[in-house]
Amino acid sequence: MKHLLWIPLLAVPFVVHDNVVLTILVFTFIAGILAVSFNLVFGFTGQLSLFHAAAFGLSAYATYLSMIHLGISFWLGMIVGVLFVTLISVVIGAICFRFNLRELYFAIVTLAFSELIRLVILNWNSFTNGSLGINFTLTPTLWVPGRGVIPVTGTLMWYYLSLVAVALAVFGYSRIVHSWMGRCFASIRLNDELADTLGIDVFRYKLVSFVAGNIGAAIAGSLYSFYISYIDPNYFSLDQSLAIIAMALLGGREFVAAPIVGALVLTALPHVINVNAEARLLIYGLILILTILLMPRGIVGLLARQRRAA
Amino acid sequence: MLQLVVGQLLNGIIVGTLYAIIALGVTLTFGITGIVNFALGAFMMLGAYVTWYLSDGAGVAYPIAVPLAVACIALLGLLVDQALFRFTRNNLINGLIVSIGLISVLVAVVLMIWTTTPQNMHYVLPGVFRVGGVIVPKMKAVVFVVLLLVILFTYGALTRTWAGRAAYAYAQKPEAAALMGVRTGVLQAGVAAYAAGLAGLGGGLYASLYSITPEIGSAYILKGVEAAILAGIGSIMGSFVGGIIIGVAEGVGSIFLPSAYNDAYGLVLLVLILLFKPAGLFANR
Amino acid sequence: MLLEVRNLTKRFGGLTAVSDMSFALDEGDIVGIFGPNGSGKTTLLNLISGVYEPTAGQLVWQGRELAGCKPHRIAEAGIVKTFQNPQLFGELSVHDNIAIAGHLRLKRQAGWRRIATLFPLRGKASADLEPRIDHILRLCRLEAFRDAPAASLSYGGEKMLGVAMALMCEPRLLLLDEPGSGLGHDEIRNLDEVLRDLRAHGTTLCVIDHRVGFLGKLADRAIVIHHGAKIAEGPPDDVLRDHAVIEAYLGRSHA
Repeated sequence: MKHLLWIPLLAVPFVVHDNVVLTILVFTFIAGILAVSFNLVFGFTGQLSLFHAAAFGLSAYATYLSMIHLGISFWLGMIVGVLFVTLISVVIGAICFRFNLRELYFAIVTLAFSELIRLVILNWNSFTNGSLGINFTLTPTLWVPGRGVIPVTGTLMWYYLSLVAVALAVFGYSRIVHSWMGRCFASIRLNDELADTLGIDVFRYKLVSFVAGNIGAAIAGSLYSFYISYIDPNYFSLDQSLAIIAMALLGGREFVAAPIVGALVLTALPHVINVNAEARLLIYGLILILTILLMPRGIVGLLARQRRAA
Repeated sequence: MLQLVVGQLLNGIIVGTLYAIIALGVTLTFGITGIVNFALGAFMMLGAYVTWYLSDGAGVAYPIAVPLAVACIALLGLLVDQALFRFTRNNLINGLIVSIGLISVLVAVVLMIWTTTPQNMHYVLPGVFRVGGVIVPKMKAVVFVVLLLVILFTYGALTRTWAGRAAYAYAQKPEAAALMGVRTGVLQAGVAAYAAGLAGLGGGLYASLYSITPEIGSAYILKGVEAAILAGIGSIMGSFVGGIIIGVAEGVGSIFLPSAYNDAYGLVLLVLILLFKPAGLFANR
Repeated sequence: MLLEVRNLTKRFGGLTAVSDMSFALDEGDIVGIFGPNGSGKTTLLNLISGVYEPTAGQLVWQGRELAGCKPHRIAEAGIVKTFQNPQLFGELSVHDNIAIAGHLRLKRQAGWRRIATLFPLRGKASADLEPRIDHILRLCRLEAFRDAPAASLSYGGEKMLGVAMALMCEPRLLLLDEPGSGLGHDEIRNLDEVLRDLRAHGTTLCVIDHRVGFLGKLADRAIVIHHGAKIAEGPPDDVLRDHAVIEAYLGRSHA
């Protein structure tokens, strides 16, 4: 398949030495995990979840706070973050799907939960430092044979770490999509009432999809916060959720890895177009509008269509 | 203490009517075009800025500036509907994304022209009413009355005029309405313009009470959507009640909990109501 | 006794769609449900298949109470319903539509082990389904459309696909909601063959159809519904000559 595309990516840092480009790629890979995992819930199962950014932020806070208060390593902290997000996702997902909320209502309720969590984080100053966010110097560490335990610092190390992470994410989600479970997700997206009458437990599969997607967001959240060494309640904002949706749509909903292309465009954009913040906002808005109206299947979808036609 | 509660209650009702006018726009748009147009918040913000500009910048009297602003925003709503939302009818997700893109564009334009510095309009109607020891600024009372009249007018127009009932019929059964001669394209464009106008009105009135920044739209559209949904999307008077409920909950709640949690009341109410009455409080149109 | 419907009632607000309905089905029965439009036939099937929850009454299937269960549980128990207006997975091919319906079969055969499809030894489970899918495609005369998108089928084809998907679920009781309406002559004959094949394999059938001639020959028993209540039950020939029944149809002539 498209496995071959990964190989050149391994070689990039040897060819490109510009730190800005490598940094953009790191952000792209991490945002890619966010967008790919979101696409499982949205593109493949057809549920518009506005909780994804909340999962992203919750894991970031959980990872950092557990490292501080429990003295564990980053990797264990990330596991704590993932477990915490899994638990919350199960609860919220069970509530939403048990009451059979669909489409708009599901989106709004997930948004409501996301906003509530944001408000709690914002106001629980003693624990989360509120709106000031948290600046820190902790980093993940790796054990390297011959050198012992070293901290992960610098763009180069983060490049390979995030590349491996996004590759694993794509692999994992691809397995899910192509498994029997993935077919059930597709049936729910296409006609969930029909799926129900054919014996598919719609509630269970929606919940599994929701949780599986949020786990990806959690991993992205831990990585991202430790890359920039900063966490704040804006991780939970509606803008974040919307940016994630934009990435998935821009890249394309039909293919597991397509959202990464969307992540690349939206991440690189502010750097490529060197204008002030307001103009960037304007261009961002125009891109969203033009993509939906002219390229509903996203960039990858468009390319795939052209290749099929040729 | 009682005075405080009553004062907050009245304030909540007035703020709630602002939410309600947006909620009304949301409900109308959803019923007739099948999408939730988040850009209504941006329209409200624009209504505020245009009103302020006309009134303080161009010296137009406030009672004339507001209708002018409303007309401008309604026109903008129409243009945007025909250029963009015409292609996203009944497609919730596409409509959502386009409206978000539109918000970014509109907010960016306003930022470029007026920056984030909060702007304050001159006092239009200074002075207060004293109602049994509770103080109600005169302008707030005026805003409440105007919005209430507009909502009642909308309700009346929808239930009593031919155009209104055609709209209702369309919202219930689009194909049947089309077969009976309802010009659906015109109807949809008309509703889009009207909803934008409502938002613009809300903004124009908002400008007389509070300072305005390019960000005010986002909080209001969120509350507007909350109110519309908890009342049951499609219910006109329901959006009014929904807005009031949220406004009052916030107003009274802020007495007991820190104001930072204000936004939470609407959300909690929304979630609770949706879980037990999934179609909203006043589900049947 | 396979299925016992006892005093089944469904009210929507002020409207009573099904009122105090009782009857029983034995294994291998073919029962035809007749009645004028709006008499509650579809609602009755929706109640049995779990799409609606009864306001009152019981649904006893092989000794178990099923009222209030969700559709997928009822499908798992062995009762599958088709839709009057065909419901399909439009974007997928005809083959894939039927494959998804293989969910229950896969679940019954592989159980929790179907989680193995997550790992690269992909598709071994779904390979087992292929022969069955082929068989059903042949039976329903849909082989020619195997890889065509389901949305591209004719109305008759869509209805047959609906039946095909229901068959894939390996039902013990198959509920058919007007399977023949809108079908052309050849398609009706095909449907008749499918139903006879099902009967030969011991599947119990409960069919709604207006085509009295078609169903009258096939069914062992007829039940006539009017305004949500059962007004007649018995061998088709007798029932359809019943005074009350003719009155309910009011001047309707036999097909």
